[in-house]
Amino acid sequence: MTLLLRLMLREEYRMHTSYTSRHMFLAFPLLVFLLSFATGATAPNYLAVTPLQDMLFVLHVSVFLYGVSVGAFGFLGRQYQERATGYRNYLVTQPSLLPMSFKRTFLGMYVRDAIFYLILILVPMVAGLLLSIPLSGFRWTSVLFLFAAALISFLAGMSLSFFMSTLYVRSPPAFAALSVVVVGLFLGIGLGRVLPASVILPGLAVQLAVPPLAPVGGATLVNVAAGLALNLALIGGAVALVSDQYEPRTTSARNELPTWDARLSRLRRYRTLLAKELLDLKRSGTPVKMFFSFVTPLIFLSFTVWFVRYGLNLPIGFNTVFYAAMVGFFGISLYNWLNNVDSMDYMSTLPLSVPQVIRVKLLAYLILTLGISAAFVVAISWMNGDTRLLWLALPVMAVTGLYSVVMTAYLTGLRTNSFLFDPGVLFAFSAMSMLPDIGLAILSFTIDASPAFAVTGIALTLGVLSLATLILYRGIDRKWARAAFGE
Amino acid sequence: MAAIEVSGLTKFYGSKPALRDVRLAVEPGEFFGLFGPNGAGKTTLIKILTGQLAPTGGAARVLGVDVVADPMAVKERVGIVPEVESPPSYLTSYEYLYFVSRVRRVPDAEARITGWLDFFDLADVRRTICKDLSKGTRQKLMLAAAFLHEPKLLFLDEPFINLDPIYQRRVKDYLIEYVDGGGTVLMCSHLLEIAEKLCDRVGILNNGLLIAEGGLADVRGAEKDLETAFLKLVGDRR
Repeated sequence: MTLLLRLMLREEYRMHTSYTSRHMFLAFPLLVFLLSFATGATAPNYLAVTPLQDMLFVLHVSVFLYGVSVGAFGFLGRQYQERATGYRNYLVTQPSLLPMSFKRTFLGMYVRDAIFYLILILVPMVAGLLLSIPLSGFRWTSVLFLFAAALISFLAGMSLSFFMSTLYVRSPPAFAALSVVVVGLFLGIGLGRVLPASVILPGLAVQLAVPPLAPVGGATLVNVAAGLALNLALIGGAVALVSDQYEPRTTSARNELPTWDARLSRLRRYRTLLAKELLDLKRSGTPVKMFFSFVTPLIFLSFTVWFVRYGLNLPIGFNTVFYAAMVGFFGISLYNWLNNVDSMDYMSTLPLSVPQVIRVKLLAYLILTLGISAAFVVAISWMNGDTRLLWLALPVMAVTGLYSVVMTAYLTGLRTNSFLFDPGVLFAFSAMSMLPDIGLAILSFTIDASPAFAVTGIALTLGVLSLATLILYRGIDRKWARAAFGE
Repeated sequence: MAAIEVSGLTKFYGSKPALRDVRLAVEPGEFFGLFGPNGAGKTTLIKILTGQLAPTGGAARVLGVDVVADPMAVKERVGIVPEVESPPSYLTSYEYLYFVSRVRRVPDAEARITGWLDFFDLADVRRTICKDLSKGTRQKLMLAAAFLHEPKLLFLDEPFINLDPIYQRRVKDYLIEYVDGGGTVLMCSHLLEIAEKLCDRVGILNNGLLIAEGGLADVRGAEKDLETAFLKLVGDRR
């Protein structure tokens, strides 16, 4: 197991560095360190208006959700086997060839990801906070307690996600049933306040039982033990669910491509590629994953808004326009999914270019998201009794959505997931997405106080974003014309 | 005009040379075999000649088209069978050929697709999605996809891999007929016996250098067969 783990860690590191370069990849934890240092150094300012307990709550929810996104590799069991003939192959496929077990290999993947992301993100984060002590006045013991508690939150997210994803592979109905229970629990805590959040976030429970919020005592030990036990139970369950044999399947399908191709005839040279893209999505089951990755941040956003309003009692006027701007930006994760449906190696043998395929992905994105996004904005405006702003919110959603995805496509091409680990790309991406997002959010808050100013500002921002979208869209050709397909 | 003209072609992966000053010409209607040990640079050369990879230096023209200046025009004119058989996972066998026919704007596509499905006895898997096909069947599909538009030039990287003897024979016969009809083939393979029966001329790459090139008899020299000559040229010391 030690050898397997060592090789898996090496493999993960080499895979990431192969996408960018060693220097660029290693700059990522440095970026986290600097951000964390800046957050620590400015802590006295924001802690004067926001209780520490609330800040820690937000931190733990974020770390937990990050863990959830990392641990979903259980989905990949069959996929890894089926992709074993691609140009890239991974150690996780080896149990089908060597006397190794899939259960053990998946456990190795869990431990690998836990170590890898611990070193990549949590350690630099804590190092930044430790270095900021002379400015923040934090106690170093508190920072270390924070590290331990955040680690438990991260592992809890990973373990839950690992368990759920392996359950999905074994039994989609059982997965659906458990999802309802988990979502219900979170909604019960978030909206109904039936239970304190620390009941389902073990890391938060530990955090609330250590300095500076409480002295170390019996409660600390109980919470740590409970957190570890929950993690172990979820990991154990996930490993038990991993199948050691993948039965080859033979899936028959109606030959639908010609029909879909004919239906899309108005799109001329993109019609066949788009028809193929949509068929891929339908047959791969990706829309389910896409739906969750789109809806999860929307739920998180709703929860954060609720928390700011009622938890922090901050009188910020969140309205439909604010939601519309956020929804537009959340669509980025869907573009990433579109690039992960299947290997694109075979395209290199055909007269196709990377920019052509990027454009088809953008079309698919628009078809998939515009309806859902608009429905969400309409629903939230109706729930908040704020439909009066829909006339402004819907264009905001459409323009930000289009801008975000074109900007992401321009920066990352067909390898979104990989390029976002390149600090140069990540920095450009953050600046290009956050600045207009924050601008629109601030303007949306001023709608009631100064409608003319807000509407003019929003209209101008949308104009600039539309122009930027056009420039970036045209730039895709220049930037990606010589890029190769495949990994 | 030569079907393939290569002069001073070099390719470096970082600081590691994959091809060094390769010069080569393949005439129309020739069956050219490219051999070499693993990692000699054969696949790199095919990828450069088919516009999939940019060279570090030198020049190459395929059917009169500069592969660096217009790689898309090259891909439009040639058929390519890649080293790894990787048709799109979620299309059926029929749909993949339909997709290729649409991308390549193949006239009379339906008849040609049916013809190639019949040629490889793929009628039973017409509606099976590619990820569930066996390796051999995937390879047949990749071959059918490369032959579908009846190009003047074929680049075949290990075309016989995973094919059983029945289909190896069928593909061999087709390729002989194709070359007799004026088509040109550049093929990489480790199956020297098959290559010896098919090729008019051969080249041997070793460590990125084209160490031998010429007619079969010239390269074989005094050796009894191509395999012995090959082992001697690339320096197997055992």
